[in-house]
Amino acid sequence: MGVFHYFTDPVLRAPTIGTMLMCASAALVGVIFFLRKQSLLGEALSHAAYPGVIFGVIAAAILGFTDLQETALTSFILWGAFFTALGALFSIYFLETRIKMRSDAALCFILALFYGVGVLLASHVQFSLTSFYRQVQVYLYGQAATMTDIYILIYALLLALIGGVIWVFYKEFQIITFDRNYAETLGINTKMLDALLFVLIVSAIVIGIRSVGVVLMSAMLVAPAAAARQFTNNFSKMLLLGMGIGALSGFLGNYFSVELGVALPTGPMIVLSASFLCFLSILFAPRRGILWRMIRSTIFQSQRQQENILKAVWRLGKGKSASFENLKRLLGANPLELWFNLNRLNSNGWIIHDFTGYHLTSEGELFAAKIVRLHRLWEVYLVDYLGMGVEKVHHSAEEMEHILTPELERELTLLLKDPKQDPHAQPIPPLEV
Amino acid sequence: MERNPYFGADFFHFFSVLLHRLFGFITGNLGWDNLVSDEVQLIVLGGIGASGALVGTFLVLRKMTMLANGISHTILLGIVIAYFFSLRSIGSFEGHGTSAIHLPTLLAAAILTGVATAFLTEFFTKTLRLQEDASTGLIFTFLFALGIVLVTVLTKSSHIGTEAVMGNVDALQREDCWLVFVILTINALLIALFFKEYQLTTFDPALAQALGFSTVGFNYLLMVQVSATIVGAFRAVGVLMVLAFITAPVLTARLLTHRLKTLLFVAIGYGVAASLIGVALARHFLSVYDLALSTGGIVVTVMGMLFLGTLAYTMLWENRLRVLHKNLLNGESDLK
Repeated sequence: MGVFHYFTDPVLRAPTIGTMLMCASAALVGVIFFLRKQSLLGEALSHAAYPGVIFGVIAAAILGFTDLQETALTSFILWGAFFTALGALFSIYFLETRIKMRSDAALCFILALFYGVGVLLASHVQFSLTSFYRQVQVYLYGQAATMTDIYILIYALLLALIGGVIWVFYKEFQIITFDRNYAETLGINTKMLDALLFVLIVSAIVIGIRSVGVVLMSAMLVAPAAAARQFTNNFSKMLLLGMGIGALSGFLGNYFSVELGVALPTGPMIVLSASFLCFLSILFAPRRGILWRMIRSTIFQSQRQQENILKAVWRLGKGKSASFENLKRLLGANPLELWFNLNRLNSNGWIIHDFTGYHLTSEGELFAAKIVRLHRLWEVYLVDYLGMGVEKVHHSAEEMEHILTPELERELTLLLKDPKQDPHAQPIPPLEV
Repeated sequence: MERNPYFGADFFHFFSVLLHRLFGFITGNLGWDNLVSDEVQLIVLGGIGASGALVGTFLVLRKMTMLANGISHTILLGIVIAYFFSLRSIGSFEGHGTSAIHLPTLLAAAILTGVATAFLTEFFTKTLRLQEDASTGLIFTFLFALGIVLVTVLTKSSHIGTEAVMGNVDALQREDCWLVFVILTINALLIALFFKEYQLTTFDPALAQALGFSTVGFNYLLMVQVSATIVGAFRAVGVLMVLAFITAPVLTARLLTHRLKTLLFVAIGYGVAASLIGVALARHFLSVYDLALSTGGIVVTVMGMLFLGTLAYTMLWENRLRVLHKNLLNGESDLK
């Protein structure tokens, strides 16, 4: 089936568009709570919404609604969930501030307790209000497939509400997220903004559990935010990106649950899609992604060894050459890596290989002298300016010689008045102009 | 099977029957085969309460309860894998439910997923440098979703999934007592054996490291114990409510004491007491109001009540001390 089909088909469009909007709004709130390092709050609150769902059903049943009046029932469920989630939030706050319970224990305790009360109430519904029980179980793992067009409207309103609030208070949220103390000195009402954020997270969770379920809802707060963080340091970009990734996971979850054809539940599929997008971002995102970090580190290591090779040959004396075995022993290097780096040096024209072994070209000679110069300049600096012992400076210089830039070299030369000897009384090669 | 002697008993009558029956078991007039469902529930829930209190104490003190929350979710994946392997050896599961899962396979699979969860979370935090709360949240939701999808694919229904997160005390059989008993024994033995090491790695990891005890090693041992405890509990109370068994008794006991050994024993006391009261209440509701409520849910609610009661007690006590202190400072005493 075509992708476009998911947005037009009368059966598929409500689940698809609905969950996309829902995931986007959850991701918006998720980004803020991710940056506050409170990602697990959503976990506790979503489980705590479960007893509320059942309170709602029981209240609706007592007031005489039947299990077929879905709109009325849904609004009871949403309000019930909203209030118990809010109650859980207050309980966590109380435990953390009044009796100094640690945050993780408070979250876990409230989560399990509220959920247990939920199970107790659910057993009551199962036993005495059996016709409603199916409605209750939907909220455990969510059921996007049975959503009707009205949900598109509900989720659009939710997204508009959350997006709108973040839009209006963007500056304030940014300041309290990154620098609370500064926010207080500016006279920003941090308590009020916190309360606003808590209402937002509770709303996002309560409305989201219909499609993803109480057990997995927290994933929709964490995964898109963690993925977005890999690409940007900018708050507004992260919000937009998180929203996009959330919406994309909503779509992919629906797409795969339909396309794979084994009646896969939509909620878990959405969570799996979001997790995969997050894993991909962690692996492949430019700059912060683990793959690029590894590539950068490999390039640096190889450059470092190339410079060390030049230095080692230079130390042997002018015009002398070194054999492969000799270099391997001097550098303690892995033969494959050494062979690769010697080839690179050769193709750069810094080293020549002939029957006597490897020796430096005149360019290589200059380059090696420059590295030795950096090494010895740094040693002078450490001894003269930082007062380190002469015997301790070599290791630091071994690292710094690969890092110092030409600008730093010039500054050091000026500062140290172009010294001719290092602390070990070795000559420092002159600065080439 | 004989008639259940608890049938029709209210809350207080339950305890008098229990005492009579206990006397019978001690004198040998009643045996293993006479164990009825209320007693099986009592043994299983009490065992989970004691196990939960033992591992929960160290989890709470090490600030690792959210990792336990993660494991309680991901263990579903282990259960599914165990289910799958048992399915292959038995052939069909028609009418068996989760009780047909081969127990050692179940235990091994659960421990494996528990340790894998802890390892992956640590890997994401340390190596991939994702902040800790996010990596905890990411890993367990991912593995749990995977578990649900596998359940649906393998069993063509989410029934096992629902059973795993809700638990069903009424489906317990006498054999379940064994699993819980084995896990409780292992937990008690390990904690008695490594008490010093656990204490040291919990309160002063730096000193433990210097003395050559591996904090990481004991973290993983604790994770193994947590996984075993959770899987032992899942048929009775489900993988989520067991978290209440792990946290609630310890947190309640911590309101009263901060000495480690006392804490362990008070927590076990609270865990077992809540199970006892819970089972009696479940029977009471059934006999008096004709309500069949989830026993697991009742036990967890009782745990919450016990916490609130203890909290109120300590707060009142603190208040009285404060008043007394003020009066003493003013030169009046209401000590009589």
